[in-house]
Parts: sequence; C-alpha cells; structure tokens
Amino acid sequence: MSGVLTLGSLEPAFEAVGRIEGEMVVLDLRSVEFVEPAGLCGLAALLEFLTPRASIVGVRLAGYNVPAYLERMNFFRIFGHRIETNVDVTALEERRRGNPGTLQELVNFHSEEEIPGIINRVSVILENKEYRLRERAAICATLSEVCANAVEHGASSFGAYAAVQAYQHIVSGRHGSSRGERRGEEVLIAIADGGVGVRETLSRNPEYAEFTKTDSDALRHALKMGVSGTGEIGRGGGLAVVGQISARAGGSLSLRSGSGRITFYGDRTNSRNVPPFPGAFVRVSLPRKAEG
Amino acid sequence: MISLKTVRTQPVAEERARVVYDVASGEAGGKLMVTRGTGRRVREALAEALEGLSSGGVLYVDTRGVELMDYSFADEALGILVSRAAAGEYGEKGVVLVEGDRELLENIEASLRQRGLAMIRVDEPGASPQLVGEVPEHLVETLQTIQDAGSITNADLAAKLGLNHTACNNRATRLFKLGLIHRHKNTAAPGGRQYSYEGIS
Repeated sequence: MSGVLTLGSLEPAFEAVGRIEGEMVVLDLRSVEFVEPAGLCGLAALLEFLTPRASIVGVRLAGYNVPAYLERMNFFRIFGHRIETNVDVTALEERRRGNPGTLQELVNFHSEEEIPGIINRVSVILENKEYRLRERAAICATLSEVCANAVEHGASSFGAYAAVQAYQHIVSGRHGSSRGERRGEEVLIAIADGGVGVRETLSRNPEYAEFTKTDSDALRHALKMGVSGTGEIGRGGGLAVVGQISARAGGSLSLRSGSGRITFYGDRTNSRNVPPFPGAFVRVSLPRKAEG
Repeated sequence: MISLKTVRTQPVAEERARVVYDVASGEAGGKLMVTRGTGRRVREALAEALEGLSSGGVLYVDTRGVELMDYSFADEALGILVSRAAAGEYGEKGVVLVEGDRELLENIEASLRQRGLAMIRVDEPGASPQLVGEVPEHLVETLQTIQDAGSITNADLAAKLGLNHTACNNRATRLFKLGLIHRHKNTAAPGGRQYSYEGIS
C-alpha cells in the first residue's frame, strides 16, 4: 500500500471481501501517511462490507498523524466499537483538536431529509472561512447532489458515507505532481454508498440497454444530461451539473461502481476497469481559483 | 373622436393580479435550497399561491434571497411547476422568476432546457423581461416583438413579423401556452373576434 489512502489503494481488500467467510481479517494500514476523503469513505464502505462477513476486523495504523486525523474525522466514533485497533483512541480523544481544513467529518446518512442539515453545516464553515458565495454554492450544490444520488439510488443497510476536506495544496493528480505543480487550494468531496450500483440502476430503463453493457459504459452514460433509471423528464441532471461545476473549477469528477471507473475533466473522460466495488462511489475535486 | 381602428391597434393592457412569493423567507424555503424534498415543499407553496390568483394573474417567484440551490431543487420546485403551468393545470396564470443574472440561474436553466420549457425572468417585478430555459428559435422573435410592444393585436403582430394571421396566431398561441405571454380576446373588434397579446414582466 502506498502512503496515500485512496479508494484505489483499498482495491485488493475490496477484491478479497467476497471470499471472507467468518475469519478474522486484519487491514494493515501501517504504511498510510495521508488520508484523503475518498480513502476515508472507501475505508468506511469496506468496513461495512467486511464486518458482517468476518468474525473480527482489525485495523492496524502507525504513527500519530493518521490515527489523529481519523479520530478528528469521527472514524473511531463510528467504527471504534466494530473493529479492533492498535490505536489508543482514548489518548487521541483527549488531544482532539479541530482540523482547520475539515468541512465535513465522516458522516453516515440514510435519507434525503438529512442532507439539508449537512449542507447547512458545510455552508456555515465555508462562510466562516470567507469562501466566496459562488465557491460555497459550487461546493454545497455538488455535495447535495451526490448525497441525494447516494440515498436515492444507493439504498443499502448502511446508507452512505460522505466526507469533505479542504487542502492548502493541490492533492489531485491531474495538476501534475510529477512536474511539482502542487500549489493552490483544493476541496475534495467523497461519497460512498452500498447500493446496487450505477449499471443496475440505469438498466431499469430499457432505453439504455446499449449503454449499460459494461460498468464503464453505464458510468459514462450516467454523466449525460437527463439520463436516469426512471427516465422521467427532468431527472438525471444532477450528476451532469456536478460534472460541469467541477470542470469549470478546473477539477474532476470520478465515479466508480461495479468494475468501472471513470474520471471526467470536462474536455475528456478517462475510464478503466478496476476490481469490483459494490455500490457506487463519487469523488469530486474542486480547486479554488485565485482571487480576482 | 377615437376611431375603432385606434382602439384595436393599441389595446389597453389589463390590470392583472400580482403576487410575489419570496422563496428565502417562505415557510417552506430558506437560503440554502437543496434536494427534491425541499423543492417539492416549495412547489406546493407556489402552487397554492398560483391557485389563489385570479385568472390572468402573475405569480412572481422571488429567489433573490436564496444563496444557493442545486439542480434537484430547481427541477422539483420550478421545472415541475412551469411544466404543470404550461399544461394548463393552474389556468391562465403566469409564473415569473425574479432573479438577477447570476450562477444560481444555471440550475433553473438546465432544468427548464431538459424539459423543453422556458420562463420569464425579471431583475425585479415590472423590470424588462428576459428568458430562462429553451424557446424554439422561431418563437423568440415573436416573443420579443410582443414584449417590445407591451400589448399588440394579432393583426399588428402578423404585420410586424411578415406572417399571415393564422401562422402568427399559431406562434403566439404556443407562447401563451408556454406561459410566456398573456392573451385576451378583443370582442369589440369589427369583422369578428381577434386576439391581443401582452408581454409578462
């Protein structure tokens, strides 16, 4: 495992989930040095899939920063009683401090009615941080749309998880870490649900038969304006608008469901096949433009 | 003495009932408008306000106090409302958006375009009308001409557009059904009835 915990770095574990039949499982995350919201939501979803199948799930972490970050993001509050860990959580709780970049700690939600409360909290934090109205609107509208998709199409026993974090540097790969261009600010939004997945949702609409042959095809189609499982006019616009918002900000929208994964940058869309992810996963990158 | 012709060509705009619904301060509304559930509650309040209006009245949906809305809210609150109004569900009443030219409009625009519909937008009630959404290209000139005239008969509109009366009437009727103009019959017109059209602002 690399130093950054992302959804991708959890792929081998997701691949192994289906083979677990009551054994003890240990997630060795000791090499993790940095956790982004996508990794946190991915870890939450993984544990939701793992814990019913395993007798005990152990999570091994190293150092101070990663356990402290997970504590501040409410990870242990949600999962502490369901896992065994080598981390002294009590000591972390005592030293708990706010994280200046955290816009939303890991939150578990099940219904649309919970979303306005989440958006209100994030908006207040952004306002206190003096984000401009248009930036707040972009971040909050993005978060609400993907959260709404998760509860509407991703109904599952565990609902959905979301986390949002602002960084004082660019985290996403597109900005060319190989060239050392990591200056700037970026807001990362991640949401994971345990529902039936995008392909199955769209397959309910017979009109989309030719667009749902593979998971990647379904994900590409889901990004188009007006594409929805029900086919009702007016539906299926949320994700398309989120794609436009992220592209306009110079960021990206990544979708993952089944064995498909696509990343939309506005002018191009990358896709590749990946180990199966049950449910659906969304990651949005919104770089902050310079003032003026 | 005023000739009948003068009366016909310059119909007097009707006094119309106007109601302003402020979404940000409405019971169902607020500053942060997200999710379809919230949109549904706001739409129900708007529909109630529309139903309370007399025929020919205009409901001004004022979203200027709303800080942000997402696509789901915009579609549920306004997309569906405009769609039902265009289907005649509320009778001959207009729905006008009161909003400035800002990014918040994008979600409303996207919803209306998705539905092949449009609505009139004004910066404030009574200000010059703009369009949000989608209107077939051939109707845009007709709409603009009616708006510029304030109120105009079918005969005069046809003359301005270089159309025959039937073609002109068909275009204006389409705009009327989309809820983008008012229409009334000039029963005093000699030689039979004639429609007059009036812009909404």
